[in-house]
Amino acid sequence: MNINAVFRYVGIVLLINALFLLLSALISAIYLDLALRPLLYSALVTALFGVFPLIYVPPSKRITANEALVTIILSWLLSCLVGTLPYILWGGEFSFTNAWFESVSGYTTTGSSILQDIEALPFGLLFWRSVTNWLGGMGIMLFVLAVLPSMGMAGVLLARAEMSLIAQENFRSTVKSTLKIILTVYIGLTALETVSLMFCGMNLFDSITHSFATIATGGFSCKNASIAHYNSLAVELVIILFMVFSGIHFGLIYSFFFQKNKKAFKGPVVKYYLGALIIGVILMCLNIYHTVFPELFQSLRYSAFQLISIGTSTGFANADSSVWPPLSQLLLLFFALQCACAGSTSGGIKTDRIVMVYKAMGKQIKLLQHPRAIFTVRLGDKIITDEVLMAAVVFICIYLGITFLATALLALLGMDLLSAFSGVVAAIGNVGPGLGSVGSTSNFSQVPAVGKWILTAAMLLGRLEIYGLIIFFQPTIWAAKQKPM
Amino acid sequence: MKLRAKIISGFIILALMLSIAGVWSIFELKSMGKTVLGFLDENYKSIDATKTMIEALEREDSAILLLLLGDRQEGINILASADSLFKSGFETARNNVTIAGEQTLIDSIKIQYQAYTHLWEKHMRDNRREENLNRYFQNFHTPFLDLKTTLRALMTLNHQFMFRTASDLNDKANRAIMPGVVAVLAALIFTALFSHFVHVYFVNPIIKMNKSIKNVLDHKAAFTVEIETNDEIGELASSLKKLSDLFKN
Repeated sequence: MNINAVFRYVGIVLLINALFLLLSALISAIYLDLALRPLLYSALVTALFGVFPLIYVPPSKRITANEALVTIILSWLLSCLVGTLPYILWGGEFSFTNAWFESVSGYTTTGSSILQDIEALPFGLLFWRSVTNWLGGMGIMLFVLAVLPSMGMAGVLLARAEMSLIAQENFRSTVKSTLKIILTVYIGLTALETVSLMFCGMNLFDSITHSFATIATGGFSCKNASIAHYNSLAVELVIILFMVFSGIHFGLIYSFFFQKNKKAFKGPVVKYYLGALIIGVILMCLNIYHTVFPELFQSLRYSAFQLISIGTSTGFANADSSVWPPLSQLLLLFFALQCACAGSTSGGIKTDRIVMVYKAMGKQIKLLQHPRAIFTVRLGDKIITDEVLMAAVVFICIYLGITFLATALLALLGMDLLSAFSGVVAAIGNVGPGLGSVGSTSNFSQVPAVGKWILTAAMLLGRLEIYGLIIFFQPTIWAAKQKPM
Repeated sequence: MKLRAKIISGFIILALMLSIAGVWSIFELKSMGKTVLGFLDENYKSIDATKTMIEALEREDSAILLLLLGDRQEGINILASADSLFKSGFETARNNVTIAGEQTLIDSIKIQYQAYTHLWEKHMRDNRREENLNRYFQNFHTPFLDLKTTLRALMTLNHQFMFRTASDLNDKANRAIMPGVVAVLAALIFTALFSHFVHVYFVNPIIKMNKSIKNVLDHKAAFTVEIETNDEIGELASSLKKLSDLFKN
């Protein structure tokens, strides 16, 4: 493996991080807050580490699949690491473990926080928190593709590692057009939401930071009470709309709005995604009507926001759902496991795999009735092979296995079962809040330090679709000699 | 980039990381020093002045009792000295208003003390010997307690601020240490990276070229080393290749 080529590309990713750290320092300078020095020094250290490999390592146009994978994983890990710098230099509630948790939670678009008083942070650091969400959502590697036009086939490999395999099944495009689509949709949605929130009375800073967190399905808010702080129906409706959009494959959004393809949202996955959200909201609304809220409208308002926030893996809150009846909590857990569509910034198992498993179950039942018959599973007009179905089932099994293992470890550390299980589900699904002591109006500050490391590992595993991180730690990938693509 | 620039860049980056962290740490330490000075100058002075005022007030209270119980001259003497002590304490506190809410308490102390002084001055002019404590409880005890409560509130306010400042000092200490810690760790990682690049891009090619040129001299073999970098090492490899071609021909 040409590790020096990897260093060069990771260096570019670090430079992008340094640029956004500098932008956060600028915000800090505008608001005259105390985060200016931590942000500037972090930007400097990050930039120096980024620029150094560019001085030494000559550009290489061809890299192997293993090098591409190592570049992706190292970029994520090092981005998370440099993301901790402003936090540890700031101090306050940030020990190294807490800073790592906050940074990983940001980059993986999880949105869980250890902060007990978010509003005590200076504007520059609040902006940086939101930026980590936004950068994570965009997928740092797609930034890399934007500045690495000379990579040729290597670019395709990077995109494959970044986007889930299922997303590629549903939406095929070249790297250049994928990049164009993602940039257009991502920046477009962010700008549109910022303007919409400002129309609803939110100030510019809050609008930008909340838009960053919504489009990335991250969920970092600059307010202690999250969206409940604004107590505004208009704000909640705007955020609901953009959360739903952010959970759909970006290629389909692009196709619908820019290519005027009216059939874009009529595929089985999007239909299931939207249908499941609607049914979930209705069930939860009926469950909390009278038991939590006396009015139907209130029940609908809070159930819709909470369920869509969890179901898209965003994690904003407008109420404390951890005190809602058991059925509502169960629905939240189901949606935190499932999350939204592949090809979006959402985490979790993803609706695409769930739809495939439903279809595979149907096929299996039919086979029991007609053992000699041959059935095919279709997703829209595409036939899904047994290999793809098996991959989806195996992924879900590994996903649940890791979830139960991490829950057991957290329970060993003394956490109650509900908080441990929901915390892990929220971490691996990159959702954010769980239930119990890590609920939507609480935080992860009371989780033991070892527990925070377990949760960050779960966040990274979830974000890198599990296989990516597992392969990265296999010695064979480092020793293997491959031909450049 | 040329060889000299590449090597210098490594040292410049190291120096930048360490020197900026050093300057920042010094700045934070200086700022800590200023906070400690402010802490002593402002809060401690106010607390000390409040203690003086409470002591003076208690002496005035005793003097009033002496006055009422008939030891008139002794009472007047103590009142005069305690009044002077109270006023000096009050002046110090008045000139050290640094916390929100402190000015309101100072104003309140001024009004309450003026009223209290007015009470005992009236009794100093009265020559009657009362010889009972009823007049003390009717006229002096409640204003005395009220003024003491206000003085205690002033002291509590300054104490609370001192605790907050102590907590800020902890943060400042962390901010003074962390840039150094980050710089040292970053410098260690950077040194490892620098050493790796020097090894891969300077030392290894020289070893390879040396080996290859020996092969050319001993066995008339071809010079096979190819260097990707666009610096003097790359140029040297290309010159050696030309030289070996000439030697072979």
